[in-house]
This record gives sequence, C-alpha cells and structure tokens, in this order.
Amino acid sequence: MKSAAFDYVKPKALQEALSLLEQGGDDAQLIAGGQTLLATLNMRLSEPTVLIDITDIAELKGISVVGDSLRIGALVTHTEIEDSELVAKHAPLLKAAAPHIAHRAIRNLGTWGGSLAYGDPAAEWPACSLTLRATMIIHGPAGERRISANDFFIDLYTTSLEPDEILVATEIPLASKQEVFYFHELARRHGDYAVAGLAAVAQKQGDVLTHCAFTFFSVGATPVMATKAQDLINGQKLNDELITKAVAEARNEIEAIADITNSAEAKQHLIGVLLERGLKHMIA
Amino acid sequence: MELNGEQLISAPIPEVWKGLNDIDVLAKSIPGCEEISRISPEEIHAKVMFKIGPVRARFAGKLLLSDIIPDQSCSMAFEGSGGAAGFAKGKSRVELKQAEGGTLVSYTTEASIGGKLGQIGGRLISASAKKIADDFFQKFAKELGGETVALESDAGGK
Repeated sequence: MKSAAFDYVKPKALQEALSLLEQGGDDAQLIAGGQTLLATLNMRLSEPTVLIDITDIAELKGISVVGDSLRIGALVTHTEIEDSELVAKHAPLLKAAAPHIAHRAIRNLGTWGGSLAYGDPAAEWPACSLTLRATMIIHGPAGERRISANDFFIDLYTTSLEPDEILVATEIPLASKQEVFYFHELARRHGDYAVAGLAAVAQKQGDVLTHCAFTFFSVGATPVMATKAQDLINGQKLNDELITKAVAEARNEIEAIADITNSAEAKQHLIGVLLERGLKHMIA
Repeated sequence: MELNGEQLISAPIPEVWKGLNDIDVLAKSIPGCEEISRISPEEIHAKVMFKIGPVRARFAGKLLLSDIIPDQSCSMAFEGSGGAAGFAKGKSRVELKQAEGGTLVSYTTEASIGGKLGQIGGRLISASAKKIADDFFQKFAKELGGETVALESDAGGK
C-alpha cells in the first residue's frame, strides 16, 4: 500500500516548526527518522494532512557534555549513540542497549527523541532514560520546560508531551566511576520486540550496590521501575539470599500485561530471570 | 482477545444504569466518540476516532443490546469497521452490583480484530483495549459526578 496524500514542510528553525505544529493542529505530524511513522502512513493506519520534517533543525542535533550532564539531542540516531565515544564514557548503558534496537538499517535513521516521544512500552530508550534519571527538555508555545523521565511516560503510547510541543533533547547525569550497569532483553530473535527487558544501573562499593535503578520494559503499558526490589538491594551486602528475595519482590510488585504471544505469567517469570542475571553481572 | 475488569463507581446502581443507557453520557465517555445515535431501544450506532500510538482511524460501528435486566445486567454485541485500517467485532457482558461506596461494574469482553490493525497493532492490542476501557470508565464516572476506583482488570492475549 501507499500512503494517502499529504503536504510536506521542512522548517530550518525550531520556532518555525512550533508554529507550523500549532497551525496544523490535529492534522499535523512531526517526522524525523520515520521508522514507525512511514510504515503507519503506508498502511493508512493514520492519515495526517501535513508532515513537518524536523531533521534540518540544528538545535535538535548532537551529543555533548553540558556541565555534569550528557546532552543528547532529539535527532541523534540510534547508530550515533552506538558509535559515540562520549556516550561510551558517560552513559555506557546506552551503548550496551543500542545494538538491541531492531537492526542497523533502522538504527541509521531512527532517532533518540522519536523513540522517547512515541513511548512504545517495548522500546529500549524510554526504559534507559528512566534508569539513567534523564531530564526531558521540551519546547512549546510557552517556551521551555523540563520534566524527569519518571513523570514523562504516562501510559501506553502516552507521554506528557502536549500536541503543540517538541522534545528537543535530554540531559543525563554523567556516570560515576563506581557505576555498574546491565542491559539485556529476551526476544524471540535478535532485533525483534522484547518479550521482557531490563535496563539497570547501580553504584558498586565492594559487594554492596547503592542507588539502584532497575527498569523493566515490554512487560506493561510503560517501562516500569522495580522500586521495592531496588530498596531491598540498596546498601545491603549482596548475596544469593538477597538476590532470591529481590527476584521475588520484583515479580510481585510489577504487574505484567500479556501480549499476543506471551502470557502475563511468562513475562512475570522473565522479570525475575533478568533481575537475577543482572544482579550477578553487576556485582561480579 | 479477552478483556475482563471491574470498576467501582461512586454512584448508586440506578444512576449508573441510567448513565450506561443514556447516549449523551456515553457520547461524552467513549474516548474519541464523534457521533452516537439510538436507532431502537436495542440498537446504537456510533462513529469513533480511535487514537492510540501510531493509529488514528475513524471507526463506524453498531452496538446491539440483549438480555437486558434493568439495574442488573445486559449483553451487547458490537462490530465496527475502520475502512483500510481494519475491523473489530465482539461481545461483552456487563453486570452491576451494589457495593460499599457505590456500584461495582464488572465486564467481560471477547473481541477479534482484523485487517491492518490486527497485523500491526496485534502486539499491543490487549494493552490498548485495557487503556480504552479504563479511559471510558474514568470519563463515565466523571459524567455521573463520581469517581472510579480501579479494582482489577486483566487483559489476556488470545
């Protein structure tokens, strides 16, 4: 199939894009990498009348260190994150996660901001941004606002982004020397949507983990943190007994939703499998 | 796909029943409802803009009510077509029970979704259905001047 007819504009400045978005209202749609949107248009699951291509807007590009944060522009592609030395040094979790996103051809085009704004519960970046306590920088008619990843993902495909706003960049606190991380997803084949995934970081001192952040994805309507399991681990000597307790707690506190091929019970089980592997990896 | 759930609405049974049978209340409660009309006591037609994630499709559908026991329960069969996007059809049973703090609404739904929507949306169809049901009851409770207390809902892929 081919998409229905639409108008196409490619503004050079953020302000211009914002006013186009405001004028277009419900019938306008932003496009960046287009790795989800184009398939949707061609299937005619959605028929916007105007596409606003934001890929020429300089403010949305680039990876840089700003103060004690790593700033990742919304237009940065998955490949750029995978290959970036700054990311490898300051947010190694992202480098580990990138190869799990579909395959290289898609990673060359798909963007960081696109994935976050879309909010697919199976996507890697929303989960990583939650784990890394990222701050979303959003521009709208009223100017700039900042919101933590924790408050950004609201429900299935629903974020706190208003229809007239654009996600410009995110800021992530720089990883400390003590940071350990684990990223893994269980999928039927590489590049496919995860049945369940885990993005975890912690600070490691000897055999104790602190500042734990364990975010599971592809198990519910949004990525979800195992806060009770985190509290169990934080500051305690990590041994097999504690791991068993934390695994049970995570399975208990997260309510998985079934998808078309996997039952809620299967996902609940995999949450524990991932956490056990993650904790053993991070403490090793 | 199956979708079962329970919602506590802080309003007495007759009010909840009246609300569920009042197309003006339904029009304001159904997410994306653009048009709704009652053809007969047992038949309702509606146009709904279905907006979730990548999908934005307008569905035209009809609802047939049966086994109506006022203030207690009813069954409904529904089918809707969204043109190129696909179709949905299924049946649902709704029961009202007196409960502490209001009325307990429990529902069981079986639906099948086909066409492009089924192919693309299949992965998250249960989660989507649950979100729409939750949105509906929240708005519905607001229309009745109460609020919902989510008890449990469980969406199973099938």
